[in-house]
Amino acid sequence: MSYIVIDESKCKSCYLCINACPKKLIKAKEKPNNFGEYTAEFKDDKKECIACAKCALVCPDIAITKVVKE
Amino acid sequence: MQTIFETPKTIKENSRFSFCPGCDHGVAIKLVAQVLDELGLQENTILVASSGCSVNLYDYLELDCIEAPHGRACAVATGIKRAHKVQGKEKFVFTYQGDGDFASIGLGESLHSALRGENITAICINNTNFGMTGGQMGPTSVLGQITSTSPQGRNKETHGFPIKTAEHIALCDGTSFSARVALFDVKNILKAKNAIKKAFEYQKQGLGFSFVEILASCPTNWRLSPLESHNKIENELTKTYPLGIFKDIKND
Ligand code: SF4
Ligand code: SF4
Ligand code: SF4
Repeated sequence: MSYIVIDESKCKSCYLCINACPKKLIKAKEKPNNFGEYTAEFKDDKKECIACAKCALVCPDIAITKVVKE
Repeated sequence: MQTIFETPKTIKENSRFSFCPGCDHGVAIKLVAQVLDELGLQENTILVASSGCSVNLYDYLELDCIEAPHGRACAVATGIKRAHKVQGKEKFVFTYQGDGDFASIGLGESLHSALRGENITAICINNTNFGMTGGQMGPTSVLGQITSTSPQGRNKETHGFPIKTAEHIALCDGTSFSARVALFDVKNILKAKNAIKKAFEYQKQGLGFSFVEILASCPTNWRLSPLESHNKIENELTKTYPLGIFKDIKND
């Protein structure tokens, strides 16, 4: 199962990753963090991630710290 | 199990960029760090940081670094490169500057470094305004662009025309490579990375001044969302600032 790791402490909720993911696997969290920000969350219940790393490439804050292919 | 992406080694551990959400500076810095990793340059590099939103770049990159005030980055880089050479040491030296730094307050230093064929590399982030100081009109602002100092939009009668930096640098005989790239989608981000890599390789090969202008977003001062900013670059800014390679000494 391929996956990505999002470091929530670095995410600034710009949502460029949400737009870039061809499988639509990234969403804004339903609950805000301590700064009131709805940071990005990886949700892949059907194991659709293809480890294309598009999300990590477009993230301006290197908040997506890892993309792993399995 | 295979790691397709991880934070570049040249990025300082636990660093958090101070840029506004969605600002392309972060993407550009990530690409620079990836290329330094891939070319194995980290240990031998001296970065010359500049004035502007990227002023504290040394907080993010694990490199030897010096800060150059107000547009003087290419002049400082010249001194560093030459002083090491005199002592028989070959250092990899690059500057990271905004358009306000490289093409406005430092245009003289920048252009003459290219004319002298200094064997350094300059990366210029062009977001068409003075971002850090509040989005004032710069020489790179396009005609009609509304900024905090051109509320009616830039007009050619009063303010003149925007400067096409990559084309100007390409005209300098000491330039080995000059390109303009953008970061508005994955395809262009990868092209930008290739251009940075080529510019760095040309310095390694001693071919002269290498330059990459990166069209970048400034969502805060443009008063647009990060995504709308990318659409603006793709659909509007590339009309004034066409993407491409304007000089490649190996193909000329
Ligand atoms: S690696 Fe590709 S498929 Fe997986 S979350 Fe990122 S963009 Fe989506
Ligand atoms: S691109 Fe990066 S900073 Fe922006 S929402 Fe996604 S993870 Fe967060
Ligand atoms: S002011 Fe503009 S260029 Fe500066 S960090 Fe914010 S978005 Fe980026």
